[in-house]
Amino acid sequence: MTLFERVFGGNDAVYGLTEGAIDAAIAQHGEEKAVSFPNTAYALPCYYAVTGTKVTNLKELKEALGVVKSLMTRENKLNDVFMSGVATALCAEFIEAIKYIDGAQPYEEPCYGHLSDAVIRELGVPLVTGDIPGVAVILGSAPTAQEGVDLVKSYQAQGILVTLVGGIIDQCQELGYKTGANVRVIPLGKDVTSVIHVVSVAIRAALIFGNVTPGDAGALMTYTKDRVPAFVNAFGPLDDVIVACGAGAIALGFPVITDDDKDVPPIPKSLIIQKDVSKFNATSLEARDIKIKITNIDIPVAFASAFEGEIIRRGDMQVEFDGSRVDCCELVQSRDMSEVEDHKIEVIGPDFDEFEVGSKHSIAYVVEVAGKSMQTDFEPVFERKFHSYLNCIEGVMHTGQRDMIRIRISKDAFAAGFRARHIGEVLYAQVKNEFEAVVDKCQVKIYTNPEDCTKIRHEIAIPAFDKRDERLSTMTDESVPVYYSCIMCQAFSPSHVCVVTPERLGLCGAVSWLDAKATNELDPNGPCQVITKERVIDERIGEYEDVNEAVKKFSQGALEDVSLYSIMEKPMTSCGCFECICGIEPFSNGVCIANREYAGMTPLGMTFPELASMTGGGVQTPGFMGHGKHFIASKKFMKAEGGVARIVWMPKELKEQVADRLNETAKELYGIENFTDMIGDETIAEDPETLVAFLTEKNHPALGMDPMM
Amino acid sequence: MPFNRKPQKFNAAIKTVEIGTGDKKVTLGGENVFPFYAFDGEIANGPKVGVEISDLGLENEVPGVKAYYEGAASIGEVAKKAAEMEGADFVCLRLEGGDPNGANKSVEELVAAAKEVADAIDAPLVVEGCKNVEKDSELLAKVAEALQGKNVLLLSAREENYKAVGAAAGLAYDQKVGAESAVDINLAKQLNVVTTQLGVKPESIVMNVGSASVGYGYEYVVSTLDRIKAAALSQDDKMLQMPIITPVASETWGVKEAMAEEEDAPEWGSREERGISMEIQTAAASLAAGSDAVILKHPQSVATISKMIQALV
Repeated sequence: MTLFERVFGGNDAVYGLTEGAIDAAIAQHGEEKAVSFPNTAYALPCYYAVTGTKVTNLKELKEALGVVKSLMTRENKLNDVFMSGVATALCAEFIEAIKYIDGAQPYEEPCYGHLSDAVIRELGVPLVTGDIPGVAVILGSAPTAQEGVDLVKSYQAQGILVTLVGGIIDQCQELGYKTGANVRVIPLGKDVTSVIHVVSVAIRAALIFGNVTPGDAGALMTYTKDRVPAFVNAFGPLDDVIVACGAGAIALGFPVITDDDKDVPPIPKSLIIQKDVSKFNATSLEARDIKIKITNIDIPVAFASAFEGEIIRRGDMQVEFDGSRVDCCELVQSRDMSEVEDHKIEVIGPDFDEFEVGSKHSIAYVVEVAGKSMQTDFEPVFERKFHSYLNCIEGVMHTGQRDMIRIRISKDAFAAGFRARHIGEVLYAQVKNEFEAVVDKCQVKIYTNPEDCTKIRHEIAIPAFDKRDERLSTMTDESVPVYYSCIMCQAFSPSHVCVVTPERLGLCGAVSWLDAKATNELDPNGPCQVITKERVIDERIGEYEDVNEAVKKFSQGALEDVSLYSIMEKPMTSCGCFECICGIEPFSNGVCIANREYAGMTPLGMTFPELASMTGGGVQTPGFMGHGKHFIASKKFMKAEGGVARIVWMPKELKEQVADRLNETAKELYGIENFTDMIGDETIAEDPETLVAFLTEKNHPALGMDPMM
Repeated sequence: MPFNRKPQKFNAAIKTVEIGTGDKKVTLGGENVFPFYAFDGEIANGPKVGVEISDLGLENEVPGVKAYYEGAASIGEVAKKAAEMEGADFVCLRLEGGDPNGANKSVEELVAAAKEVADAIDAPLVVEGCKNVEKDSELLAKVAEALQGKNVLLLSAREENYKAVGAAAGLAYDQKVGAESAVDINLAKQLNVVTTQLGVKPESIVMNVGSASVGYGYEYVVSTLDRIKAAALSQDDKMLQMPIITPVASETWGVKEAMAEEEDAPEWGSREERGISMEIQTAAASLAAGSDAVILKHPQSVATISKMIQALV
């Protein structure tokens, strides 16, 4: 039998039953008899929400059945299946409504039947906040009572609201499992039609919390699909009526997971066959995109930022991992969804117990993540947080990054039971929590065998780091489709906006283009927003209409236009957090750069703080700009004025920091070898005259360039 | 050259938010000119003044406040007198006793107090939590439930708990949501964005963009208020057009100038006069910078500020 036949058959059967029930009720009570559910302002909520009509008596109910009939079209199209599913659900609501005639109480302990509006308002708030991350509807009897109860328990442990229909209710009772609204396991009823009471919850939630207008079926289905994180677990064997109800659930956006594969063709993301009941939970969560918040990290010691600065001295140390002596590394890798089993933590090699007190070893931990919105560009962003995560563990000290890490575990932490797998627990919980927006699944592998660590470091980690570095160094402003704004500092500098591009990182030095991109994806309403770069005004100075519009918007109109590559024409503003300040030096046609750490005098006659006071505050100061250290070696540095060849002076320490990359850029742009040797520093000159003499001697290219002013 | 009057016209306006029900209900916002720029255009509604009372009673109040409420035995009676105060437009109940680091009163006890106050007055009611994020999530949700139909404003939903407070107040129980941020235009806007994404209607949101007492970094408050009003009106920024409420009393009565007893600082004169002065100055500045409502405590401050508003609108 095809799915069409099964759904249509089930729908017809329920329709027949409903018609019979309504006719019988009319025969018994007369047409004028009132029909309603107790304690709701929404009449028959499902019918009201779909059609906008409130049914109040049996006569109207009979008329409503006519409307339902009109939904039951019989073409072999998916839409007909869904509409027949909706029709089945409405029939179920009618049958249930008749049960309540004359204030009857058709349900008794432990079943609830219809749920009042008050319950929905109360449940609605935690549903909206995510404190109840999902709603499970379990239908039928599990293969064994124990499997059924285990499934209920697994959802309950995750805070998911569980509703039960049919045999599963008896199975819970059989094993004495506690149910009730207070423990968020709600048995609805034993007839399959009682499933409508949870549908009614979802639908009233849309009316109450979603401001959906009754009768606007499209908006209703969009709301339930996007905002009500419900799903169905239906145990086989499925009869046609259940299949028809399932079609209704799918129409509302609720996936159905079943263990019955007989005559049930899977529909991707909607109707999923999972033969293994113990995997219903994981399959359902993945299908409905439900992410469980981790509130407690399962480790035997405390975890808090208070421990971040904790130093563990040699004498207090149980064991040490030292990347400077032996092979160590930390790595994040993106994987396919199918390759990651959420919360799997493996320790491969000896645990801390097997190491001698005070000894030094190898460690490599690989955090494998998967997610629909995950991108490899986020890997280093996560990885950079490991330092802070591991340091927050009481009794653990972490320094360095990549393959130059050092970790010490204190004797106290070890005595409290801290072992290798707990490192995995912390990384798992933190990555899942902090990067919830992009990480759907996460597993951690911790290697402590020296051979494994050597292999991972040299064959996996180092190639991965090299690849990333290469990507960063080859990424140009031209090679990316968009830039990002950053307004993190606006609290202090209200009109400042950084435009972050691959070749011009934020002036604080802390926000690269990749960071800005990740910030935007992880926090779409946050400080970093996409800026398109489609309408070029002037390529030379890097001016775009799109960028100007963005800057105007984000500075609340304080700035009209900025260039990305000029210090003289419409330069980018500075807040106050710049790593360096670059200022024009008129005698040499060049610029001097001072970094924040430099305390001395510059040939401009100003110290860093003096320069800062005239550069900051979100105003455009032609001739001066704040920037990150990394920007100094960029080919876009003052490109409009001739590029890095304008740099005539830097503090010695800064010069040494940027020498390699700056020399490379100068060689590529002008064919000059060892360009930094031509640049002055405080040991050579702190005044313009001595500086110019030095530059002349070195034949610095700036001297021959056009005046900047 | 003759003076040529050029009214500054905007094609945008602050949204209106109603608080309370019946004859006494108040409307915040609605203006489409800068604060008190009545010469540019008519000011719709005009700023409102609220009177703060606390579940902790009057024990720590200055004599003038105690004297005003003399004879009021219950929180309900205190609320009644607050509502009758000259110049008062609404009452603000601060449930500061809920603070887990303070009196740590139970949610039930505080909800009962809120209910008593709501039943005692027909003036609009603002209910402020205890400022503890977790406690407020639960407390304000329960208050919203208990005061269904009263159309109260709940202060505040913050970045950490806007979902719980916003969903309960703005969605489940149809009250008004106060969105509180810490003196930063971008954070204020971001909170409005995420709260509306939750499903709360923009017309149900009032902002508290943070405050301070004059002399305590108050310049930041002024510049934030200024910039929000400018963005709302001149740039038609819809996510900054919510009216602004500023709790003043809770800031000004806690600073040294309002706390130091006369015997400890005789050269400063009467403590009560100093406190009133701080309260009036801060309130006047907040209104001049763009606040649509202020919350005050001392009867003299309430009378003075409301007189100022009447004279300027």
